[in-house]
Amino acid sequence: MTLYTYGIIDSSDQIKESIYGLEGSGVYNIPYCDIGVVVCELNEPVQNVSKSSVLAHEEVIERLMEHFTILPVKFHTVFDGRNSILSMMQSYYKHFTDNLNRLRDKVEFGIKVIWPADKIKKSIRNSRKKGEHEMPIPDGSLNKEFMRKKLEKYRINEEFEQKAYKFINVMDIFFSKFAAEKVLKKLKTENLLLDAAYLIEKDGQADFKKAFEHIKNVHTGFKFLFSGPWPPYNFVICRRKVNYLEIPNKKICLIKQSNIRIW
Amino acid sequence: MTINSLVETDFPEEFIEEMGKTDDVLPEKIDANSENVEKGLAKLVLTLIELIRKLLEKQAMRRVEAGSLSEEEIERAGETLLKLENKMKELKQIFGLKDEELNLNLGPLGDLI
Repeated sequence: MTLYTYGIIDSSDQIKESIYGLEGSGVYNIPYCDIGVVVCELNEPVQNVSKSSVLAHEEVIERLMEHFTILPVKFHTVFDGRNSILSMMQSYYKHFTDNLNRLRDKVEFGIKVIWPADKIKKSIRNSRKKGEHEMPIPDGSLNKEFMRKKLEKYRINEEFEQKAYKFINVMDIFFSKFAAEKVLKKLKTENLLLDAAYLIEKDGQADFKKAFEHIKNVHTGFKFLFSGPWPPYNFVICRRKVNYLEIPNKKICLIKQSNIRIW
Repeated sequence: MTINSLVETDFPEEFIEEMGKTDDVLPEKIDANSENVEKGLAKLVLTLIELIRKLLEKQAMRRVEAGSLSEEEIERAGETLLKLENKMKELKQIFGLKDEELNLNLGPLGDLI
C-alpha cells in the first residue's frame, strides 16, 4: 500500500468532512504533534500523469485550504507507509511549522504577461540603424565580421532586456504594495515578459484584483493572465533537513497512532 | 475541476503556447534503447556544449564592449567562436537535432535558448 500525500496542515485533528482524492480514495490526516500530513491510500503508485489525476490532487488541496493553512505537496509525492511519513515529519517539523505560521491566512495569485517582443526588437533594430553606434571592432577579416554581427546581436538583446526589466519593475512595484511576498520569473521566453506569483492576505484579495485590472488597462498592448487564489505552491521554503525536533516549551510529544516517541 | 481558483485571460492559446516553450527539453528519465540511445546522448552532450558556447560568446562580447580585447585577440576569439558555431551546426545536422531541442532551463538564469 502506498500513502499518496496532498499536503501538510496546521492541525492534528481528523478531517471532519468527507474528501475523496485520487482513485476515489478517502483522504485523512496523519497527526504529528500539532500538525498533520493529509494522505490517501493507493494500492499502486500512480503510473501516469493525467489531467484528471492532477485535477483530483488540486481539488483536495483546495478543499483543505478552506479549513486549514496548508503546505501543498508536489503532485505524485508518495510514501511507503506511515513510519516513513512520521520520520519525514520528525526531520522537517520545524520547517513545516515555520512555513505554516508564515503562510497563515494568505493565498497565492499568479500573473503572467505577454508583451509584443517582435515589435519591440524591431523598433530597437530600427533605432540602432538610424543612430550612430560606435563599433569597437574594426573592419577586416571574416572572423572580425563574425564578431561584429555577434556584438550587434548582443547589444540588441541587452537593450531588449533593459526594456523588459523596466516594464516588469513598473508593474511589480505596483503589485508589491498588496503582497506579502513574491516570486518573479522574468523573460522565461522572449514573449513571456513576466511569470509572477504573489502571496496575498486573504482579506486583501479584492484590492489585489483591482490593482491587476488597473495595470491591465494601462498596458493595452500587453496580454495578461490572472489566476488564483491558489494554495501557496511557490512560497513554501524548505531548504535543508533538520536532524532534531524543536518542541515549544520542551513538552514531550507523543505521536498518536504510532510506535515512535519523540522526547 | 478546481473549486475556487480561476484563470482569467482573453488569450488562452497564446499563454499555453508560451508556457509550452518553457518546459524542459531534457526529460526527467532517459528512455535509453538501442534505437535512440545515440541521439539521446548526443542531445544531452550537445545541450551542455551549447551552454558553454553561449557563455563563452557572451563573455567575449562583454570584453569587447569593455575594450579589454586587443584587435588580435578579437580576431582569435572570432575564429574560435565561428569554428565552434559551425561545428555545432554540423553535429546538430548529423544527429537530426534542432536548436530548440537543445534548450535547458537554467532556473533563475532563465532558459539557455
